[in-house]
Amino acid sequence: MNKERQSEYAIEMLNITKRFPGIIANDNITLQLRHGEIHALLGENGAGKSTLMSVLFGLYQAEEGIIKKDGKEVKINDPNDANALGIGMVHQHFKLVECFTVLDNIILGDEPVGKAGILKKSEARKKILALSEKYGLQVDPDAVISDITVGMQQRTEILKMLYRDNEILIFDEPTAVLTPQEIEELMQIMRNLAAEGKSILFISHKLAEIMAVADRCTVLRKGKYIGTVETKNTTMEELSAMMVGRNVNFHVDKQPAHTGDVVLDVQHMTVASKVHNNNAVKDVSFQVRRGEIVCIAGIDGNGQTELVYGLTGLEPLVDGKIIMDGKDITKSSIRKRSTAGMSHIPEDRHKHGLVLDYSLEYNMILQTYFESRFTDRIGFLRRKNIRQYSDKLIEQYDVRSGQGSVTPARSMSGGNQQKAIIAREIDKQPELLVAVQPTRGLDVGAIEYIHKQLVAQRDAGKAVLLISLELDEVMDVPDRILVMYEGEIVGELDPKKTTQEELGLYMAGAKRDEVRKA
Amino acid sequence: MKKFFKNEAVQTFLASILCILAGLLIGYIVLLIINPQGAGESIQNIVKNFFTWKRPQQQIKQLGNTLAKTMPLIMCSLSILFAYKVGLFNIGTAGQYVAGACASLYAALAWHWGWLPCMLLAMIAAALLGAVTGFLKAYCNVNEVISGIMLNWISLYTANTILSNVKETASPYTLYLNKENPSSMLPTMGLENLFNGNGNVTIALPLAILAAILVWVILSKTRFGYELKATGNNKNAAKYAGMAQNRNIILTLMISGALAGLGASLLYQTGYMRWECTQSSVPAMGFNGIAAAFLGGLHPLGAVFSSFFIQHITDGGQYVNTNFYSSQISDVISSVIIYLCGFVLFIKLTMKRVIARSEDKKGAKQ
Amino acid sequence: MLLLIQYTLIFASVLLLVALGGCISEHSGIINLGLEGIMVVGALGGALVMRSLGTTSAVVMVLAAMIAAALAGMLYSCLLGVAAIHFKADQTLIGTAMNLLATAAATVLVKAMNTAANPDNHSSEIEYVAARKMFIVNINGFEFNWFMIVAVIAVITVYFLLYKNRFGLRLMACGEHPQAADSVGINVYKMRWCGVLISGLLGGLGGLCYILAGVSLWKFENGVAGFGFLALAVMIFGQWKPTRIAIAALLFGLFRALSNTYTGFPFLVSLNLPGNVYNMMPYIVCLIVLAFTSKASHAPKAEGIPYDKGSR
Repeated sequence: MNKERQSEYAIEMLNITKRFPGIIANDNITLQLRHGEIHALLGENGAGKSTLMSVLFGLYQAEEGIIKKDGKEVKINDPNDANALGIGMVHQHFKLVECFTVLDNIILGDEPVGKAGILKKSEARKKILALSEKYGLQVDPDAVISDITVGMQQRTEILKMLYRDNEILIFDEPTAVLTPQEIEELMQIMRNLAAEGKSILFISHKLAEIMAVADRCTVLRKGKYIGTVETKNTTMEELSAMMVGRNVNFHVDKQPAHTGDVVLDVQHMTVASKVHNNNAVKDVSFQVRRGEIVCIAGIDGNGQTELVYGLTGLEPLVDGKIIMDGKDITKSSIRKRSTAGMSHIPEDRHKHGLVLDYSLEYNMILQTYFESRFTDRIGFLRRKNIRQYSDKLIEQYDVRSGQGSVTPARSMSGGNQQKAIIAREIDKQPELLVAVQPTRGLDVGAIEYIHKQLVAQRDAGKAVLLISLELDEVMDVPDRILVMYEGEIVGELDPKKTTQEELGLYMAGAKRDEVRKA
Repeated sequence: MKKFFKNEAVQTFLASILCILAGLLIGYIVLLIINPQGAGESIQNIVKNFFTWKRPQQQIKQLGNTLAKTMPLIMCSLSILFAYKVGLFNIGTAGQYVAGACASLYAALAWHWGWLPCMLLAMIAAALLGAVTGFLKAYCNVNEVISGIMLNWISLYTANTILSNVKETASPYTLYLNKENPSSMLPTMGLENLFNGNGNVTIALPLAILAAILVWVILSKTRFGYELKATGNNKNAAKYAGMAQNRNIILTLMISGALAGLGASLLYQTGYMRWECTQSSVPAMGFNGIAAAFLGGLHPLGAVFSSFFIQHITDGGQYVNTNFYSSQISDVISSVIIYLCGFVLFIKLTMKRVIARSEDKKGAKQ
Repeated sequence: MLLLIQYTLIFASVLLLVALGGCISEHSGIINLGLEGIMVVGALGGALVMRSLGTTSAVVMVLAAMIAAALAGMLYSCLLGVAAIHFKADQTLIGTAMNLLATAAATVLVKAMNTAANPDNHSSEIEYVAARKMFIVNINGFEFNWFMIVAVIAVITVYFLLYKNRFGLRLMACGEHPQAADSVGINVYKMRWCGVLISGLLGGLGGLCYILAGVSLWKFENGVAGFGFLALAVMIFGQWKPTRIAIAALLFGLFRALSNTYTGFPFLVSLNLPGNVYNMMPYIVCLIVLAFTSKASHAPKAEGIPYDKGSR
């Protein structure tokens, strides 16, 4: 087979430049993927990885540069062209139809049919079983997607590519949603695939994984091509320096905590799941005191979201009690919890945090609009006060926007939207601040800023509950770590004494404090 | 000039005008297809409506009639747009309007109430009907369009049954208000003098306009309006902010219903129209309210003008040449306008794009 | 009793056809609230053909009228397709406009034709009494209508199409997760067009069936009395599944049939309820059923959301 190949490379993207109004997303980038190799594409959020992949899939057309397949120049105008060239991708957010079976999802778009379009599923089943056998991908073809684990869903996505005989497989941040065990299995699968001659492009910003599985690594930074290195000739430190351009100090400066009274006391909290019939949060108890930051760590989807929903009142509890400042708020409305001193920086700022069609000033008062300073006795809004208040917050928290208070929230950048939410929630002078993934999708500067704000709240004697998926954040920001696994708190760790490895074991459910269980 | 066209309100206005022109054009084409002979004259008459009359006194009197029917239409379109701000498509306005008509007529004819109590009862009855839709939406997740349609038919048959008790023996129509109970008729406060003695023009006129202003104030200046629009734009964020969603949904549909009920009272209590107890379709007023609401750019004050226009061409329909055409051609035009209102977003987007492009070109030249 | 069964079956056929149309459209991701209007236009198409064919054999008449109704419905559904698929218009608004337009336009056209034939005739009826008889086979007093067979065929076909066929798999993928469908090379716009057109076809047939169900000539200005929406309720009650929709249609058909036949039941007559109560019955039942079945919705996840290739 190798004899037929005229080029060393399966796919080449040469000198790709792609501009958007006001920004060069890809500036003269070159990426060459060899046959049978695992090639990592490394870069921070906004480095230009997704744009480059969109160009490869024909979603965008590059202004400059060419794409070659097996040494021959090709034109890719839409994803169908990419498919025809044998390029397949496992997207970060899976493209699976939830109510379909694994089999249906795999054959969708490429169905084996007889006369009049009648599906011949048994043929497909045979092929799928053979493929799973060959590459070690255990999946039940007749299981419905919504019933299976994230890891199995990902295997379904991989099978989708293999079923179509794709030669070039792209994995976009594939480990973000997996447990360490599943990550290990995925790495093995990737190695198997490469051994069978598939060429793999592995998009990630996790250095350890790249070092573990990739042969070579191409690094992008702020839309520019930084270089391509052999992983066996490099170190994590070197890759990190290439990725961020400077040796960033992720460490957060903070004084030792001065903890006071218990602000939040959660007892035996149980919350139902929206996805499956089991409870998402099972019998969880913990406390948060004044002057400390407690972080709930864990892999995505282990009940953190539901825990927050239960805590803030977005979902009712099945069982258990929530006590804040000595008062039972288990049955209190969202509004009552808020006025009693709970602030909530939500996980999804577009879904919960902002009314995108409202102006910035109207978003600034989203939690306080009913207070007498913003609404008069008859029920009219006090527009002058609202404007003044909003201007004050914009100034104080350095929220940048085109037209100040009257800017539509929709037109602001993600970082500034998040800053606006943080300004709003902190300025409420809460007793308890619940911050859910407050730095998700933000650049390094914004992250540092937000961490400082959290620590400042702690030092002001507030209780802070941080929910985070990022290991760096979990290790650096809080005073205590609680690890959540499958809806339970399986361990409490001191960030000063623990290691990332130990944390990882807890997150994967491989280790748990037996005390907790009782 | 550029700035002028960039203005959101101006764009909405232009888009509405475009919809109207296209609607009229299609109406004209339909007339041409049916019979080219009288098409031009008929479409002109639709647009002219009362101007078709020769004498100014007649014109002004007919204008009064159009205005009398515009007022309930304003109320119906306010009803639609108020609910739409919260993200609810209250097609049940039509049924709430029927409930209002039924309540006010029955109170007037059977119990001989005065005009104000009748009006209030109409609003209460319609609000209660709205509350049913709201309750089903908030607590049972029933699509408000489907429950609205079902309630439209239920209220129609209920109204037919109830009002049969106060109808003339010889005809399917309800008794004359002015003979049976003049005290239930809306006062004219001398307004009829402005319209050549047309007694159909009553305090309904100032009341409806007042209602439009009130709705505008509530939506744009108050805490309640702030909550409603937040819920309409992003109901998750509204929930997150602790707004009582279910209460707001029910309250909104109750207010929406009350507006429609008031509309019915503003028409039937002028005595201009009587209820036909055998009618087998829901009065079109509520549905025309959809056209007026969207044509008015979903703005309460825009609704006043668009309602007048819709009613104007609806009445204009009676001046078509009935040798070839039927008056429903006006309904065709207004439903085409509703259909085209679905494209308003697209039209505005295109305008923005054209403006942006011309600015780009300018920028390149400089 | 026989009469009740006959009316139940014929009304169930109407509801079934239209509900299946709504079901296919929603599975593709488009909410078709314009079914009411599509029914009117379908009925108009069928009625016009019935009138113009005059005397011909029953087979030709039945087939021609059905084809005309189906085509008319499909043509009219294009209004929804263009607006909802390509211009991202509000599907509720468009559906409502279509319903209003259909009744108004049909009335104008029919009246115009009647007036053209006879200047004193301003009615909105089309004469099709003779043709109607051709749809009916009288079996010992039971009026069997060919549409009952058509409805049964439609259920079987839709079931086959959705669950055993490539087309259905792709269609449902577009209604559940259009981005996923697009990523495997399925043209979402095309599939949604198919969904809309099929709903037009079935809605048009349902419309013709509706006007043939009644004994008296049908007035176009009356529209179809909320049947398009009843059908949507049938669809929701049937949880978007063809077989369950069939059962739901029978239930609703029964309540509708009662208003035509309650006088034949001494028990019901002795209750001495006003006739309007029976008229209201299907709508009341519908509300109650919806109140209990809407909470756990099985609606396609992406329905009503315009698909934009750019935003993935």
